[in-house]
Amino acid sequence: MISSLASLPLARWTSIKVSRQKKDALFEIAARIESVAERARSESGRALSLASKAERRKPLRRGLELLAGGADAEGLERGLSEMRLAAESDPGAILELRLTLAGLGGILAGEHPYVLMRRMTAHLGAEYFEKTSKYLLSRLKRRRPHTDTLVVPGDMPDLIRSLALDPRNLERAVHAAGRDISAAILAGCPQESLNLVKPLYGKIGGASLEDDASQLRGRLSGDEISQAQAAFGDLVRSLEERGEIVLGSEDDLATDPAFIAEFTRIVLALDERTIKEAFRQTSGGVIAVAMQGMQPVAHERILGVLSKRDERRILDAIDDSNPLQRTAIRAAGSELAVQLLAAASRSGTSSKETIARLERLRDWED
Amino acid sequence: MIQWNAELARRLACREEEKRGIAPLIRRFMELDRRTRSEGFQALESEIPAADDPLLAVGLRLVMEGLSGEILEDILATYLLAEERTGWPFLRACVIVEGLMSLAEADDPAIMARKLVAYYGADRALGVLEELEKEAPMARAATTAKESVRAQEEA
Repeated sequence: MISSLASLPLARWTSIKVSRQKKDALFEIAARIESVAERARSESGRALSLASKAERRKPLRRGLELLAGGADAEGLERGLSEMRLAAESDPGAILELRLTLAGLGGILAGEHPYVLMRRMTAHLGAEYFEKTSKYLLSRLKRRRPHTDTLVVPGDMPDLIRSLALDPRNLERAVHAAGRDISAAILAGCPQESLNLVKPLYGKIGGASLEDDASQLRGRLSGDEISQAQAAFGDLVRSLEERGEIVLGSEDDLATDPAFIAEFTRIVLALDERTIKEAFRQTSGGVIAVAMQGMQPVAHERILGVLSKRDERRILDAIDDSNPLQRTAIRAAGSELAVQLLAAASRSGTSSKETIARLERLRDWED
Repeated sequence: MIQWNAELARRLACREEEKRGIAPLIRRFMELDRRTRSEGFQALESEIPAADDPLLAVGLRLVMEGLSGEILEDILATYLLAEERTGWPFLRACVIVEGLMSLAEADDPAIMARKLVAYYGADRALGVLEELEKEAPMARAATTAKESVRAQEEA
């Protein structure tokens, strides 16, 4: 912190006081820069050139022209220095230049547009933080989902899955690695891995991490992604050696195949009414976990007999659920078996054999 | 290389009795660090309403969004300089920024304490560090007790 402040020139130490109205106008400029940055990520220089032609504010128009012309950070600073001299007596103009430089410099550095927005609006003070959050959340709603995938061969998805058995372990590892490395390793992982990491950063942070991972798929080679993944693997091992995280074993992850086979057989043998009643009595979370201990054919059977509303509730719970240890899946399976037993006894339609098998499932031990 | 900046030195200057106010802030950050270790970074959400400084509230949210390193430092320094702080308020804000950065890096509480006591100056830092280290086992025990109560409630 001290080193960052110590390198600041004297001019930057002066806080600038401008009216609320001026700050609101500067917020709009920041939003325009964020929007250009978003387009520049997919359309590159063309978006910058088009935006410069449409821009009415002089500093931003000049800055966009410079970027479209291929200027680097130094060229950008130099190109806007004339305006800095002219702005010396006008606090609003100085703040506008600082904010514009922060935003355009961030575009040059390839920063995510949401990060840029945070960087720019920091110049307006803490009172604009919530306004920025609201703006970013509204942008999230219009975000296009990523459909591209690139899975680099290796054990990274397994490692992430294993870390996610205790989300605190995964969180410690990705924070220790830093956001850039995390985005690089996720660039070579399937969506399942991203879905495990994203919630650790909240809505805004998770979305920007996903965008960055997607962008890096086009920028990094397979070797570079492999190198990032290897570095992450080393980091996880060192955290484990220091006792900061505890990794689950392969055994913890793999659900007992006999349990899965038995649960699947029972679900296929039960009648619709029993399934509907038991599932109505069981929480979505327990069902989502228990269903990790069944084969897909059992999922189809369950979802096929439930009402649209119950089906939606269970699919949402499955989307929100993390991979779990076999003991947790067995415990949820046992809880569901209790409800199925109660429903089967009430309906009287299940055979003695099915009842006995449900009892075995309820009391299952590895 | 250690850089020197006259303006920074001027802003940081404050009375000895004012510097005593740093210790509660360090304890608070060490507690936040332990909390994120046991409950995750999203648990910081519940700490935001109690944040008595807008810089701390803003910084906790940025840490929750996964920002760290140079980007976090730049943004927090911009917030810090957007206000006219000098003396104790400026020193306090510097400790807040340093604490937030250490939190974001997932530093061990002992490392965090070493980074933050530096703001006392060389003459007092070691003494304060010793005091904090004496308190640390008790604080760890309190966190463990809270965790086991929570685990029992969940069970």
